[in-house]
Amino acid sequence: MLIEMYGVTKVYPGGQIALKDINLKICKGEFVFIVGPSGAGKSTLIKLIFREEVPTKGQIFFAGKNITRLRHREVPHLRRRIGIVFQDFRLLPEKTVYENVAFAMEVVEAHTREIRKRVPLVLERVGLLHKAKAKPSELSGGEQQRVALARALVNNPDILVADEPTGNLDPETAWDIMGLLDDINKRGTTIIVASHAKELVDSMKKRVIQLENGSLVRDEERGVYNCESKDF
Amino acid sequence: MRVRTFKYFFKESFTSLIRNRWMSLASIGAVASALIVFGSFLLLSVNFDYILKDVESQVEITAYLEDSVEQESIAKLNRDIAAISEVKEIKFISKEEAIEEFKEQVGKELLEGIENPLPNSFRIKVNDPHEVAAVAEKIERFAGIEEVKYGKGIVEKLFNIIYWLRMIGLAIMIVFACVSIFIISNTIRLTVFARRREISIMKYIGATDWFVRWPFLIEGMILGLIGSLVAIGVLALAYKYLYITVKLNIPMISLLPIEGFYEYALGFLGIGMLIGAFGSSFSIKRFLNV
Repeated sequence: MLIEMYGVTKVYPGGQIALKDINLKICKGEFVFIVGPSGAGKSTLIKLIFREEVPTKGQIFFAGKNITRLRHREVPHLRRRIGIVFQDFRLLPEKTVYENVAFAMEVVEAHTREIRKRVPLVLERVGLLHKAKAKPSELSGGEQQRVALARALVNNPDILVADEPTGNLDPETAWDIMGLLDDINKRGTTIIVASHAKELVDSMKKRVIQLENGSLVRDEERGVYNCESKDF
Repeated sequence: MRVRTFKYFFKESFTSLIRNRWMSLASIGAVASALIVFGSFLLLSVNFDYILKDVESQVEITAYLEDSVEQESIAKLNRDIAAISEVKEIKFISKEEAIEEFKEQVGKELLEGIENPLPNSFRIKVNDPHEVAAVAEKIERFAGIEEVKYGKGIVEKLFNIIYWLRMIGLAIMIVFACVSIFIISNTIRLTVFARRREISIMKYIGATDWFVRWPFLIEGMILGLIGSLVAIGVLALAYKYLYITVKLNIPMISLLPIEGFYEYALGFLGIGMLIGAFGSSFSIKRFLNV
């Protein structure tokens, strides 16, 4: 089991209830969509996983460790196991594609040798090795999101968390990104994607968790998935 | 910490120093002026100290004996006074020696035919000029001592002046240091603001707080360091000029040689860097809670 949530409720300081009594389990190797209208609590759920937010009530476990009680200085070590992708890409505009990806490894103090080996490999995987020297401003939206994916993957995370990764992209590019995510998932990385692109989600035939007004209203698994077999 | 990481820190620091060069200059100026003011007061007080050490050897206690005291008792008094732990040196001056000395000062003719009016006395030196008053009081209590004299007041006044010079210098430096910290923290805030996007990305990737903090701390410390170097340079030049001028024009005052100033230089560098580090740590705090 990679992620477990028990009775998770999140109330923001203003009194706004973002999530109500959420219980869910996500196994290693799963591909999960979180869907629902804007304001349903998708982003909050995502933020709870990489601990940008702490639940008001309830417990969250990551790989068996309770992360609701994590100390501030332990948070970086949780985040190193999680690759995060945002709707707005969040690339550094003055750095090249290569440097943006290498930056993620510099931040966790990887060896130079390791960086030189690993960055081209990951860029190759997202199909952007030929644009390694380009600046983000010279790339299309889809390409920028691929760079962000490469950056999220470069440190070999257990899980990739994406908040509306296709929100800023045209449908065709969105398909490409989803295909890429599926590909990444097939290589063993657990993936959680928050999205309101209904058609896209439906056609992917994956597990779908639906939120409405902060409550979990549907948790549907398409295709048979045996948690035990992949859990170790 | 890896060498590569440190290279990265320094690169980042210098990049933003140059990007915000006007604010950097203002910060350096603030640190430099704080330390120059403090340094001036420090040098003033150190010189008073130095001059006092010179005067110190002249600060002695003279204890006059009653005329009735016999030779034997004088020897005993001599031993007793010498036994006081603070006493460094004691010398007996007989009536005859005293008058000889006096004659030399005012001229023989004046004292011709007058009976010697001067008493026997001891001249006493103490180890620490701070203790002159206390020792004088002790000696006064011995039987056979008529009167004790020392540069009463002068010593205390000098010590007072030195004390207040230090306090005023310190107070002004604290005010200036606060101003410097404020200016540096604003400079660093600009850098932090320019890099807030990068910082948030770093935090999402899993950078530790210290990894984020170091470049800013280094930037602040570099500002403080350059500021203190400027202060040291200005003070050294000014002091050298002062030293030579005083030596040529007022030869009886001997100032502390310039080498004495360099002892403080290292301390100045330390204070400068501390001010810089403080200034920058104020600005980063807020951005680390992502």
